[in-house]
Amino acid sequence: MAKEKKAAGYLTGKEIRAIAKENRKITKRLEAYKNRKAEEAEFLTEMKNPENILEIEDLHTYFFTEQGTVKAVNGVSYDVPKNAVVGVVGESGCGKSVTSMSVMRLIQGPAGQIVEGAIRFKSWEYKRDEKGQPIAFGDGYEMVEKIYDIAKMPIHEIHRIRGKQIAMIFQEPMTSLNPVFTIGEQLDEVTFIHTPGATKEMAKAKSEEMLRLVGIIPENVYKAFPHELSGGMRQRVMIAMALAAEPRLIIADEPTTALDVTIQAQILDLLQDIKNKIDGSILLITHDLGVIAEMADYVVVMYAGKVIEKGTVYEIFQDPKHPYTIGLQKSKPTMGLDDSTELYNIPGNVPNPIDMPDHCYFKERCAMCTKKCSGDYPGMVQLSPTHFVACHLYEEEKENG
Amino acid sequence: MLKYIAKRLAYAVLVLLGVSLIIYCLTRLMPIDFVKNKVTAVQTSGATVSQDMVDAMYASYGLQEDAGIVEIFQGYLNWLGDLVRGDLGTSFKYGIPVAEKISMHMGTSFVVALIAAIFEFMIAIPLGITAATHQYSFRDYLVTVLVMIGISLPAFFFGNVLKSFFSMQLGWFPSSGLVDATKDYTGIAWVADYARHVFIPILTVVVLSVGSRMRMTRTNMLEVLNSDYIRTARAKGLQEKAVINKHAFRNTLIPLVTSMAGLLPSLFSGAIITEQVFDLPGIGNIALQAMNAGDIPFIMGYNMFLAILSVIGILLADLMYAVVDPRVKLE
Repeated sequence: MAKEKKAAGYLTGKEIRAIAKENRKITKRLEAYKNRKAEEAEFLTEMKNPENILEIEDLHTYFFTEQGTVKAVNGVSYDVPKNAVVGVVGESGCGKSVTSMSVMRLIQGPAGQIVEGAIRFKSWEYKRDEKGQPIAFGDGYEMVEKIYDIAKMPIHEIHRIRGKQIAMIFQEPMTSLNPVFTIGEQLDEVTFIHTPGATKEMAKAKSEEMLRLVGIIPENVYKAFPHELSGGMRQRVMIAMALAAEPRLIIADEPTTALDVTIQAQILDLLQDIKNKIDGSILLITHDLGVIAEMADYVVVMYAGKVIEKGTVYEIFQDPKHPYTIGLQKSKPTMGLDDSTELYNIPGNVPNPIDMPDHCYFKERCAMCTKKCSGDYPGMVQLSPTHFVACHLYEEEKENG
Repeated sequence: MLKYIAKRLAYAVLVLLGVSLIIYCLTRLMPIDFVKNKVTAVQTSGATVSQDMVDAMYASYGLQEDAGIVEIFQGYLNWLGDLVRGDLGTSFKYGIPVAEKISMHMGTSFVVALIAAIFEFMIAIPLGITAATHQYSFRDYLVTVLVMIGISLPAFFFGNVLKSFFSMQLGWFPSSGLVDATKDYTGIAWVADYARHVFIPILTVVVLSVGSRMRMTRTNMLEVLNSDYIRTARAKGLQEKAVINKHAFRNTLIPLVTSMAGLLPSLFSGAIITEQVFDLPGIGNIALQAMNAGDIPFIMGYNMFLAILSVIGILLADLMYAVVDPRVKLE
């Protein structure tokens, strides 16, 4: 009886209180760690591969809810090489956004916490003297490269990274701008935060330059309020804002999802254009395979909080290995097909995030399932220097061949 | 803008006409008859009152014994006619013009209410913000529980508790009235004496009213803190302090400003119960006595005064709304 109840998602009051108590214990410890004071040496680290700008390794981000712990990101590892576009695909709720939010440390505590893992980021910042003032060098300032483990950074240090080193473009342009400040004020702010000794004129010049870069005539928009602009325009402003501090990495979290199709195309063109203009990498999060094919150099496929396949865009699109990736490719509508051909869909649903099975999470939906799939969760199998897949099918292949 | 204000003022006149009619009818329908009370008072003292004298009294106050709808409506028109001529009438109970009586006692209530309102905002807004930014923490629970206690206390009870503690036991503050009758202070000493007298009443009002405004600030702040543009502000690299004080607070201000519509009349209406407890000669106290006596001109004057302030308060709040929220356009 009790077991039946649990399966239906019912919890008794006693169970809820026990969960809440346990959650408080864990989140209290993690919050204290997040708010601690720490010397810089404590979160300095080294890159595994010096070609990378961002390395996420075995990241676990959990949400401690009243129903139980949701392992939204459950051991994710992927790298973003320098000057590359990495696309992350997966369905809604697979943890792709939570991963990017973890990189920015924007996960809302106390419920949401980075529990484990490393986020190594190569930062390019002003060299500072003992007082924390940047050291002048010629016209500008002396620069220094430092590698931080963002997951270990105390939260009050994170403003070194946010905006300046890693900028983010969000999914909802309609609500992502503050309604009570003008576009100009919000853009100028970025320069004020990140450029030492910035004046009003400098900030305005920079903001106008950025607006022009994203195809907006600054005269019309600088003094406007967000509600006076369309969604596409607002997303352009968001992109301008992200570019203003010349970040090394731009995270675009479904930048086109909330826009209509023609505007989507314009924004993608703009991102393409910017990709060529800036000296940095883009982490593009989307569930649109077409966008990935167009933009990305590398692709990471996520499913239920884990990376199930990663590789170059050619490997993923021409030679997908994981049954889920294959299914995704098949469920993409193609032009010129006979009307009678029904679009393929992957059967079944993602398992309950609170009560994940021990075996492969895709097992119930998989058409190529074998006996081995009931065993432990499959490890990553390397198929080429860049192509990895987490599937039992290829473990055998490797062992045999 | 001016056109908008003119239009709103024109509507306000209509609203006030309606309000005055309703208040007049309700007041006349009250089961209190000023003349009857007076006659009874005279009779209990042993004198006899003839029917002629009673009729003469009714006539002199412009009232009728057992008035019907027609008489009430006539009375209303008379009152309105006097009002148009700028005459609020003479108070039955106090025997002086209503306008004079109101302006005599308004000051005390205004000082108490204004100082209380300033403290209320100064305490409620920071408390609301800390409670919201530390949601579900010990601090949040502590603040919330304390202000809930404040909201739940009745004024007559809490006022008397403070009075017995500060005045009776500690003897720090006088227990009632506005001036020390035994002394004749001037200048600074007068101000100090005045301050000593209004301290506990103000404390009572603040403790009782701080809660609702704090709860409102907390709720709005929480809503704003969960919005996408706050995430954007954080993602820009702004320090948390700037995110809260600039981006979040500016948006929390919008509903707070709207709530100020009620502030203007409350500054002048007087705290009826608190003024009773501390025996302050404020307008609330006077109005309650007038109400008990069936003093129709005073009740009308007092309520219309508040109605006008309410209408102006709402208009000001709407104008302020357009100032703090750029999305609002006054047409």
